[in-house]
Amino acid sequence: MSAVISTVEPAEETVRPESRAWKKLKASKSALLGFAIVAFFIGIAVAAPILPIADPAATSWSVVRKAPSAVHWLGTDEIGRDILSRMIWGAQASLMAGVVSVLIAVLVGVPFGLISGYFGGWIDQVISRITDALLATPFLILAIALAAFLGPSLTNAMIAIGLSAMPIFVRLTRGQVLSVKTEDYVEGARAVGLAHFAIMARYILPNVFAPVLVQATLTVATAIIAEASLSFLGLGQQPPAPSWGSMLNVAKNFMTQAPWMAWWPGAAIFLVVLGFNLLGDGLRDALDPRET
Amino acid sequence: MLNSAPAATAPVLDVRNLALRFKDTPANIVDGISFSVREGETLCIVGESGCGKSVTALALMGLLPRSVARVTSGTAMFGGSDLLTLPQRAMADIRGNTISMIFQEPMTSLNPSYRIGEQIGEVVLRHKRVTRAQARQRALEMLDRVRIPAAASRLDDYPHELSGGMRQRVMIAMALANDPALLIADEPTTALDVTIQAQIVDLIEELQKETGTALIMITHDLGVVAEIADRVSVMYAGHIVEEGPVEAIFDDPQHPYTIGLMSSVPSIGPRSGRLATIGGLVPTIDRMPSGCRFSPRCPFVQADCLKAHAPLSTFGPEHRAACYFAPLETVFAEAAS
Repeated sequence: MSAVISTVEPAEETVRPESRAWKKLKASKSALLGFAIVAFFIGIAVAAPILPIADPAATSWSVVRKAPSAVHWLGTDEIGRDILSRMIWGAQASLMAGVVSVLIAVLVGVPFGLISGYFGGWIDQVISRITDALLATPFLILAIALAAFLGPSLTNAMIAIGLSAMPIFVRLTRGQVLSVKTEDYVEGARAVGLAHFAIMARYILPNVFAPVLVQATLTVATAIIAEASLSFLGLGQQPPAPSWGSMLNVAKNFMTQAPWMAWWPGAAIFLVVLGFNLLGDGLRDALDPRET
Repeated sequence: MLNSAPAATAPVLDVRNLALRFKDTPANIVDGISFSVREGETLCIVGESGCGKSVTALALMGLLPRSVARVTSGTAMFGGSDLLTLPQRAMADIRGNTISMIFQEPMTSLNPSYRIGEQIGEVVLRHKRVTRAQARQRALEMLDRVRIPAAASRLDDYPHELSGGMRQRVMIAMALANDPALLIADEPTTALDVTIQAQIVDLIEELQKETGTALIMITHDLGVVAEIADRVSVMYAGHIVEEGPVEAIFDDPQHPYTIGLMSSVPSIGPRSGRLATIGGLVPTIDRMPSGCRFSPRCPFVQADCLKAHAPLSTFGPEHRAACYFAPLETVFAEAAS
């Protein structure tokens, strides 16, 4: 037996779907750019505690609203805090908000979508109608309502954004399940006596996950904007902790005197959203089984 | 081959008077069929598309969704219990364990996201108290037994890395992994090309000899039937119109449908005239004729045929056909004289 194992290596030319998708992703310049942008922001957010930057909450009355200079590269805000430092720490809040809220949306939405699509019948009716009702409410309005209801804090903002983004994932997953559950291998799984839960977890979920992954990447971008919006409205990150949205919120009062206060968070939001969108588009193309 | 089947043993599966009806249809899609299969024996259920073969198999496996069709009568005794009335949970313990099924489409019957070794192992893990390593060992053993070359290296392949014939071998390995008492094969060769078909049929036959499992083969391919069957049940529009040992069905068919079926098989060699066909189409479920369901297409149809469906009458050992006028040559000769 050992001889068999040692002599026969898996053929080199066989292409696994992951590697094909990975190759296509690498071939797409825009996807790589998106990946680079996202990686850059994640990098600085993670490295924030060890970077040689000023305390983001330290105020200084001598440098109120100073333009970018050698000392404060991106300038200072209305109470003399270093904007570069606040941008870097703010990246943590924004990315956390984006990723965690999408995780919430996926972890809640995908199981509901699975159950709804797999079982059908009245349970599908109930879940689908609730989803329809949630989808009928504009995303940001729903998030604002939930955040206001839960009380202003970054955690609550993430929950509010996650719950508002959830219906999309219920819908998407349900639709995918409807097509996958008629596949022969699902019937085959039933024919070998597997229970519903095992079939859902091992036979359906892995085969509906590619579109969910793409949607998740794109939704991270939306969620970052939503967090910025909520923070802008005072429903997200609370002072003195920085977030890009709350920085914009304050900056709007000083648009003429200190426009740089708005430039940097605005540009950062723009860039990171662009990055996630490019990455999501690239993933969608790479994971699309119809193109080879 | 007939003699090798032990006639005395009790049947592994005994189906009596099974009737199935699709939701919101006026007639039974399967209308009171009976058949049985013994240990080591191969029963072929033959018939054209839509005659109810596959539905019957799904019903026996408990895989027919209640929202689509229901069992209106009948019993299917297997190991002392009636498959048609067992609760879902008990059925799930039987499926893949003591009764296995091979499907028609090997290309799509394997989960594309998992390695084949895991998929075969999963069937063992589901039904036997074994460790993952033991299940994997069993998967390897089964791949070897279905004659997959270099089985050890194939264990970690994904389904898309295998050809159709290979995938069907994997399906067979999965189906036999728990040594089932009964194997139901629903047109296992239809989707494969001809040379591979022959290999798969041979493989199923060999494995059946090794394991002694009872086999129900559902097919419309009479070549497969001739090769593998001990007994044959011919189905037409939800009825069994004729059943018997494979030699009797091929050499001495009694029912006009079976006769038509046999004469419409092309033979190798010089062609003599046009290939015989059976005129007309299978009746749809909402236009089922009363009486004999073959009557609209039968060249020998008589007034009696339209009144009631003929019961099965005996023509030889285990050879029965459902026709008032069988054997045709005698009946019509008498009528003529």
